[in-house]
Amino acid sequence: MFDLTIRKRQESLGWTAVLIYSGAVAMALLFSAGLLFFQGNSPIEGLSLLLEGAFGSSYAIEDCLIKAIPIYLCALGVAIAFKLQIWNIGAEGQFALGAIGATWVAITFPGHSSWVMIPSMMAAAFLCGGLWGVIPAVLKLKANANEIIVTLMLNYIAILILDYLVYGPWKSPDSFGFPMTQEFSSGAIIGKIGETNLNWGLLICLISGLVIYIFFKFTVMGFELKASGENVRAARYARFPYGRLVIISMLLSGAFAGWAGFVEASATLNRLQPTIMVGYGYTAIVVAWLARLNPFYIGISSFLLAGLRVGVENLQLELQVPAAFGEIMEGLILLTILAGTFFINYRFVRRPRP
Amino acid sequence: MKQPADIVIALEGISKSFGKVHANKDICLTIRKGTVKALLGENGAGKSTLMSILAGRLQPDSGSITVDGTPTHFSSAKEAIDVGIGMVYQHFKLVESMTVAENVFLGQEGGRMLKPRAMETRVRELANAYNLDIDPAATVADLSMGEKQRVEILKLLLRKSRILIFDEPTAVLTPQEGDELFKALSFMADQGKSIVFISHKLGEVMRVADEVAILRKGEIIEEKSISEVTSKDDLARMMVGKETFLSVVKNKVEGGELVLDVKGLDGNGLKGISLNLRRGEILGIVGVAGNGQKPLVETICGLQAPEKGEITILGKSWKSFFSRRKNQDTLSYIPEDRIGLATCPSMNLSDNFLLTTRKGFKRGPWLRRKRVESESQNVVDRFSVLPGHISAQARHLSGGNLQKLVLGREFFRNPGLIVAEQPTQGLDIATAKAIWDHLVTARESAGILLVTGDLNEAFSLSDRVAVMFEGEIVDLFEVTDMEKRGRIGLMMAGAA
Amino acid sequence: MTPDILIPLLAATVQSGTPILFATLGAIFCEKSGVLNLGVEGIMAVGALAGFAVSYYTGSVWFGFLAGGLAGMLMGGVHGVVCLGFLGNQVVSGLALTILGVGLANYLGTPLIGLSASGFVPVDLPLLARIPFLGPIFFQQDPLVYVSYGVPVGMWYFFKYTRAGLRLRAAGENPDAALAAGIHSVNYRWLGVLCGGFFMGLGGAYLSLAYTHMWANHLTSGRGWIAVALVIFAFWNPLRAVAGAYLFGGVMAFQFRLQASGTHIPSSFLLMLPYVLTLSVLVFSSWKGGSSATPQALGVNIEPAD
Repeated sequence: MFDLTIRKRQESLGWTAVLIYSGAVAMALLFSAGLLFFQGNSPIEGLSLLLEGAFGSSYAIEDCLIKAIPIYLCALGVAIAFKLQIWNIGAEGQFALGAIGATWVAITFPGHSSWVMIPSMMAAAFLCGGLWGVIPAVLKLKANANEIIVTLMLNYIAILILDYLVYGPWKSPDSFGFPMTQEFSSGAIIGKIGETNLNWGLLICLISGLVIYIFFKFTVMGFELKASGENVRAARYARFPYGRLVIISMLLSGAFAGWAGFVEASATLNRLQPTIMVGYGYTAIVVAWLARLNPFYIGISSFLLAGLRVGVENLQLELQVPAAFGEIMEGLILLTILAGTFFINYRFVRRPRP
Repeated sequence: MKQPADIVIALEGISKSFGKVHANKDICLTIRKGTVKALLGENGAGKSTLMSILAGRLQPDSGSITVDGTPTHFSSAKEAIDVGIGMVYQHFKLVESMTVAENVFLGQEGGRMLKPRAMETRVRELANAYNLDIDPAATVADLSMGEKQRVEILKLLLRKSRILIFDEPTAVLTPQEGDELFKALSFMADQGKSIVFISHKLGEVMRVADEVAILRKGEIIEEKSISEVTSKDDLARMMVGKETFLSVVKNKVEGGELVLDVKGLDGNGLKGISLNLRRGEILGIVGVAGNGQKPLVETICGLQAPEKGEITILGKSWKSFFSRRKNQDTLSYIPEDRIGLATCPSMNLSDNFLLTTRKGFKRGPWLRRKRVESESQNVVDRFSVLPGHISAQARHLSGGNLQKLVLGREFFRNPGLIVAEQPTQGLDIATAKAIWDHLVTARESAGILLVTGDLNEAFSLSDRVAVMFEGEIVDLFEVTDMEKRGRIGLMMAGAA
Repeated sequence: MTPDILIPLLAATVQSGTPILFATLGAIFCEKSGVLNLGVEGIMAVGALAGFAVSYYTGSVWFGFLAGGLAGMLMGGVHGVVCLGFLGNQVVSGLALTILGVGLANYLGTPLIGLSASGFVPVDLPLLARIPFLGPIFFQQDPLVYVSYGVPVGMWYFFKYTRAGLRLRAAGENPDAALAAGIHSVNYRWLGVLCGGFFMGLGGAYLSLAYTHMWANHLTSGRGWIAVALVIFAFWNPLRAVAGAYLFGGVMAFQFRLQASGTHIPSSFLLMLPYVLTLSVLVFSSWKGGSSATPQALGVNIEPAD
């Protein structure tokens, strides 16, 4: 007879890991297919419509890329905080504040050229988003308040601040009563790349990703951040300034989410309105975790999850599947991958029973 | 002297290894009714492994356990508990937020519903029966260490355990609490319980034990009745091992300026410590673990502030030395905990190299990666750290290679003061020899404080040796003083 | 304030506090066993939908209420599979559960939007309802509110006076100590996750069955997260949770009244009140050292022994 016991794996897995993750995603797809079936749709048709809608045409792929931009920026921010084991769930609120900051610049100083507008909007978004991220960091350090709940509450508060502004002081006189600001002047709008629908926000993503990669690999602070996240005791032994690292990582984290808000307001909507909040900040958490916090993989996974959103829109159109189907799939994928990680970290050992 | 009583438990030929390390080799041990048996050995000698096997938490690779004459096999802690073996661990297994009574009854509640009053009464009765002073309604978190230990004992008594194993029970107690514990142990033995007492402190073993077994490097070296022990010194020597003759070539280094000056350091478990160290010198701090070495090292290395007394490091006061990051390049601390404290297990070797060393690798906010990589590769080569490439993760390194990496990293900065804590513990002879050579070489430009429990190491490397006992330096002498070397066992036992 | 304003306000306080109370108690039960469940928001959403749907299809509100609890238990089970079975990160699993739960509720609930099902209506308790002042506040409520009076006391009793309660607490405080006493903490963590999920589901069901009497997307609107914060405010004590839940109920009822009275304060600011309050309460209780009451093994998975 044998007892089956579980042991921690010492070696790292190569391709087996890919296999395990693929299996996990397959499980998630299976569950989702079941839900489609439950709703009276053919699962095969549904999933193929999803894929086709997401990646089936150049227009669809463009759409995925456009949606991937804010997701990528938010996820990059989330990853910086997660690296230090700070659970920043507040990308959604930091995104809102970034959009608010950029909009303030855009509607307060209209008419300037984009060489003036875009950088100052970026600076405003960086500051607003960043400071919104610093609040939970300070509360964590000073009052030992749980950052998960603080960031979440700040999300709700930020969205309500945004609502207040677009329903109140910032409401455009010619919006026929709809809650929205006036359209940004052309200088405040991020242009499109050539003949495509893609905007230059894509460039911000590329540069940000590169900057973060360089930050973690080639700067002292990036290194200290990474090392403190790995082993807090070692950080103490090596005398890293932990408090300062927490503040900086949350500042950056919020700032990137803020930029995402700026890109959405400027390039996609050309104004601020409540529909800007579509949950990119929450998707970003899924993206960052799936990508194991690596800026390059975040690129891939934000593209894939943007694809999920676009695909679900197609499903909505063709089969009247509710939009929430996308959230369900996001949740399922995250859960199955989490469970699958077990097989990466542990192995089963057969132990002879005497 | 009591008559030899019935044998309750007999261990025969017990062996257990973890990977390549033989924690226990062919161990035979008998435990008698109504007897206090001391298991004496240094840290890492295999005492805890042996007791975990007896308590059913670990399964031996080979060998047999006989209880009351019947061969038995424990596949879980529960089975050992059921035959009456109970253990008081060094780190108490108590739920801090619960009351004493709740802790005592946890796992043996005797029914679906709890009756707090009745539980408290039962605990009080039990405590009175064994002269253990405790308030059953108190919350464990509010108790002193001695009281917590009594809760652990009560847990075993409620279970009617016949064999009570104590793992280093006095490590966390004040001397008075220790005295009370010894009284309780004797009392329980008189009631017919068998006590196993794991310790590395000679004095208390002599006081409380009826029999003693000495464990070294996983083997029982000696097992005898306490009345047959003629001198503590013998026990000490048996425990730490004979001096093996691994010669270290030490060329003479001219004594330089003072790198460390400690005056009247008090508090945190230290009592009036004064010592100094010059460049070019190795000062060995020996003593049985837990006699104040840890707080001394942590204070000197800036991990805790001195309560009373003065410390001067490389000419600066403690406070001004640790207020500037740059100063810290001149101090190297090689901690005992290589994997949890000195390194980040899942980072690669060059990142781990960078952990404490910034000298020349920083330009403004930038890291000079190329330089880090080439220098860390250099260190890896020079200290022959295997596997020889810097992309390996620290957690994949063996203890010896990890230690060489830490040593290489800490010496790279050319520090003026090096604090090395148990630098060769758990390492094989060849690696230990290599590390000794490195330490001796580093001495040429630094003063080294070597904290060790290994007398052989202390004598081979040090220029002077300080003996610590209960937070004090009992004696400090030149390593050439053979008369004092002869008495070191007694000093370590606090008997000189 | 005159009694004829104050009494309805306080009665509304009890009513809006009740769903939060159920959810907070569920979270306390779960966290006491050492499992951090951040999926409360999602579990409540699923519970709310299940409650409404079952009530709609069977016509029985009590079946609906029970279904809400069972759906919550099922969601808790998912958390258990991931965290207790596969040793997944509890924080991430909880977040995933929220995303999944809110999504599921919105997805499956789409056909039910705008429909009405039978819900709970206030029932006066004999004698008690006639106590001046207190009667109209506490004893002229719907039956679920009366249920909610019993649960905190029952839970307090369970923790203090039952074997399972003692062992569950041990699993949350120190699984290693529990193991040394021969207790397998994982079993008690399962108990915590499942029963905790049950109560969270009840909280959701209360929303759709007694509070709104209808189904709408995003019905929970952050109440689950407030419950997570309230656990800290309550120092993990079921009895203190009552005070916390009613504090929030009060703020919600107050801002609702204020809004209805046509004040000049923008509604966004009024809606913000509960969240700002949550923040302040959390910061205050953390700063006061509330975290010392945290179950010591909260969020830490039980690793297999070597």
